[in-house]
Amino acid sequence: MATKAYDKSFREEVYQNVDSGEDVKLCMQCGVCGITCPLRDEMTHGPRQLWSLIRAGKRDEVMNSPDIMLCTSCYSCKVRCPRGVKVIDVMHGLAHYALEQGIVPRKETSKFGKAFWDSIYKTGRVDETEVPMRYTMMAGPIHGIFNMLEMMDIGRALLSHKRMKFKIGPGLPPSKKIKGMKGLKKMLNKAKAMSPGKEG
Amino acid sequence: MDKNQACYLCKGCGLGEALDFDNLEEVLGESGVSEVKTHDALCSPDGVALIQADVDGGVNAVLIGACSSRVKTDEFNFGSQVIVERASLREQALMCSEAEYEGEETAGEDRQMLAADYLRMSAVKLAKSNVPVPFKLELEPETALMVVGGGVAGINAALAGAKAGVQVYLVEKEAALGGFLGKMAKLAPETPPYQELEDTGLEELVAQVEADGKIKVYTGNTVDKTAGAPGNFTVTLSGGDTFRCGAIVQATGWLPYEPEKLADELAYGSNPGIITNVDMEAKAKAGELGGLGAVAFIQCAGSRDQNHLPYCSAVCCTVSLKQAMMVKEANPEAAVYVIYKDIRTPGQSEEVYREAQRKGVVFIRRDEDYPKISESGGKLAIETMDMTLNDTVEIDELDMVVLATGLKPNNPKVVDAPLVALGMDQEAAKKLAAESKAACDSWSVLNLQYRQGPNLPTLKYAYPDSHFICFPYETRRTGIYTAGTVRRPMRVSQAVEDATGAALKAIQAAHAAAEGVAVHPRSGDMSFPEFAMQRCTQCKRCTEECPFGAINEDEKANPLPNPTRCRRCGVCMGACPERIISFKNYSVDMIGSMIKSIEVPEEDEEKPRVIILACENDALPAIDMAARKGHKWSPYIRFIPVRCLGSVNLVWIADALSSGIDGVMLFGCRHGEDYQCHFIKGSELANVRMSKISETLDRLVLESDRVRVEEISFNEVDRVPEIIAEFMETIEEVGPNPYKGF
Repeated sequence: MATKAYDKSFREEVYQNVDSGEDVKLCMQCGVCGITCPLRDEMTHGPRQLWSLIRAGKRDEVMNSPDIMLCTSCYSCKVRCPRGVKVIDVMHGLAHYALEQGIVPRKETSKFGKAFWDSIYKTGRVDETEVPMRYTMMAGPIHGIFNMLEMMDIGRALLSHKRMKFKIGPGLPPSKKIKGMKGLKKMLNKAKAMSPGKEG
Repeated sequence: MDKNQACYLCKGCGLGEALDFDNLEEVLGESGVSEVKTHDALCSPDGVALIQADVDGGVNAVLIGACSSRVKTDEFNFGSQVIVERASLREQALMCSEAEYEGEETAGEDRQMLAADYLRMSAVKLAKSNVPVPFKLELEPETALMVVGGGVAGINAALAGAKAGVQVYLVEKEAALGGFLGKMAKLAPETPPYQELEDTGLEELVAQVEADGKIKVYTGNTVDKTAGAPGNFTVTLSGGDTFRCGAIVQATGWLPYEPEKLADELAYGSNPGIITNVDMEAKAKAGELGGLGAVAFIQCAGSRDQNHLPYCSAVCCTVSLKQAMMVKEANPEAAVYVIYKDIRTPGQSEEVYREAQRKGVVFIRRDEDYPKISESGGKLAIETMDMTLNDTVEIDELDMVVLATGLKPNNPKVVDAPLVALGMDQEAAKKLAAESKAACDSWSVLNLQYRQGPNLPTLKYAYPDSHFICFPYETRRTGIYTAGTVRRPMRVSQAVEDATGAALKAIQAAHAAAEGVAVHPRSGDMSFPEFAMQRCTQCKRCTEECPFGAINEDEKANPLPNPTRCRRCGVCMGACPERIISFKNYSVDMIGSMIKSIEVPEEDEEKPRVIILACENDALPAIDMAARKGHKWSPYIRFIPVRCLGSVNLVWIADALSSGIDGVMLFGCRHGEDYQCHFIKGSELANVRMSKISETLDRLVLESDRVRVEEISFNEVDRVPEIIAEFMETIEEVGPNPYKGF
């Protein structure tokens, strides 16, 4: 069996640089976070094992784990953790930290983040037609159209219930900008400058 | 004493409707109780006043036919000079029996016979009872307390005793007080919020002892000899001093598990960097933790392991947490690992665990296999299974590996044999246990001058025997109490609690001895066994079988009873083949006569009779509760309460079977390793004796199925009717006793 050495440097790095990273120290490996996660079947490690890997100094496995970008912030784990570990904060913190290092552990999340950010940055709102269209088209024109066709039924239902505006394609017609877009942009720029990493 | 008897029958709780009281009065008259009064509710103030008026008028032996003797005890207490005998008509005759003519005016025949038999037995018991006179020691009883062991438990026991106002003699083998507390650098957090390591506080404790005028300290002394009994122990110390004391607290601590035994598994001795938690504590105390860059603790080193100590020492986890925190405090940059099977943090130690985690200690869960320790380039490396990563991992560059070893009983002669013997075949295990017991007895703290040996009897891990939950500080030597790690592994704070508890129990025992009454479980009982020595055959059964070593022997093997050591269980009474041992209110003759007073119907009536001798500590309450819960059983059963199954003399079985009773059952407590017997050995002895009853039965040409021993615990209420029903079936199969009518 492969022998892995416990390495001190990575855990110290996480404790110091990652949002709520020090909480990882407190984990007692009970596994409530992992079993309570609605995405447990999708996760390769789950929070519990990630903490264990951090403490063991497994930098590559942690930084490349898609799990840290798979978290949907449902808060089940954070609410249930008997040790009060802010699981979600650490998961997002790790994602930010990975991106900062130039690692993209899960491309889909990163692309969706870009579409989301772009929509807000350009128009000041999250356009529910625009964002999914741009996200699906990122897979390339042919894959994008197939992906969109798969979603057709949902789209139709949303349209008929007036939950979504009709668009022929991304930016057709262009979304309306909010009032005071200038001020918002200023705020967003500042936030971007403050944040250690950026999604997309 | 002239006995002036009177009987009071209660018609309350449905007894009035169910029973024919004229007939009962007749029965009592035949049994020699002529004065009978009835009342609708005897426990009401009016009913009690009726009895009290008669007692004031000179009645000194009262028979109450009402509810169980376990209820309404305050109402029916008329002082120590009035004998009260209670026939449990409500529970044992009414509630449990199914009358054939339910709902009719006339009472059921079987039920009536049942009530009549209980009254007959009670009348006999009353006639044979005498008011006990408390035993008085020859010398003026001594209430001083001796505390052996000057560690944290001993010091606290001494302080608690002095605070309660008694003279205390504190004996310590070392030149200074302190014990292991003096060797500790810091204590794990003991007070909220359980985050800061604490000072041992030893200096202050020693100062308190020295300032206390009631505590006399003998340092550099061991106990050469402890003779006598509670209220009158005579102690000789190795330094030559002698004093009398009334009770003893033994707080002699523990021994660390020998790390040399871990040479194969954990490479102890191969490298100076591999040390035990005891060595680590010494290093911490000497302030040698500063230069450590990486340390690993290995938990359960030789604990919870069938090849070493099979038990969990309960403190090693907290100790490692504490020591890990000390390493972190000396050098916050140090990498500290704790490799564990399970982190066990009793009490509030979970907070200590959290604090150690907050400080950055890394915890690695291992499997049953010990980690492999190796040396490379002057540093140590560990290879272990990491259960949370499900992979083998290596930790290298370690300056030190600390083995968290466990606690052993404080007897250097203890061999691990009984510990190892658990999984072995019974015969081999017994042999090993006997050998190790003999080895243990060659060394003693108290050097008791008892016929049964110099030591406190021990349980399976060679810790002194006590009831873990009910009577934690009790030992099987009355008036001698254990406190602290001498009785089981524990933390300092628990030892302090223990010490206070044991000291107060010891004071209580000394006072009980002075007053001539029993300590637990028959607290306040004034009766004690008396020996009709002219008929003694020096068979030694009583001196050998007494669970509490109460009886010494002279050189001719005559028993020398020590009533203040006695717990009044009657095991000696059950043992004596000559039946010369009896209490003022409990004797072989009394129970034998009760059995003979039961009216046995002729064979053709097809009404068998079965007696059940029931332990009054556990079985009797279970029977009462079963009746109250509405369980029904055969009306042919007659219960006779006994102090302990150990007090059952085989002659009673012979008495019963020869007077035509069809079957005899014994209801007692669980025996063996997890015994529940209040007198520890009573039910076990009863079982051994009953296994030899076949001889008696053969002599009578009777079937061995007629006698059975059953274990009933306090909460096994629902089993009572099942066992009875099953036994009645057996009796039916075996057929009627051929001695009926003789």
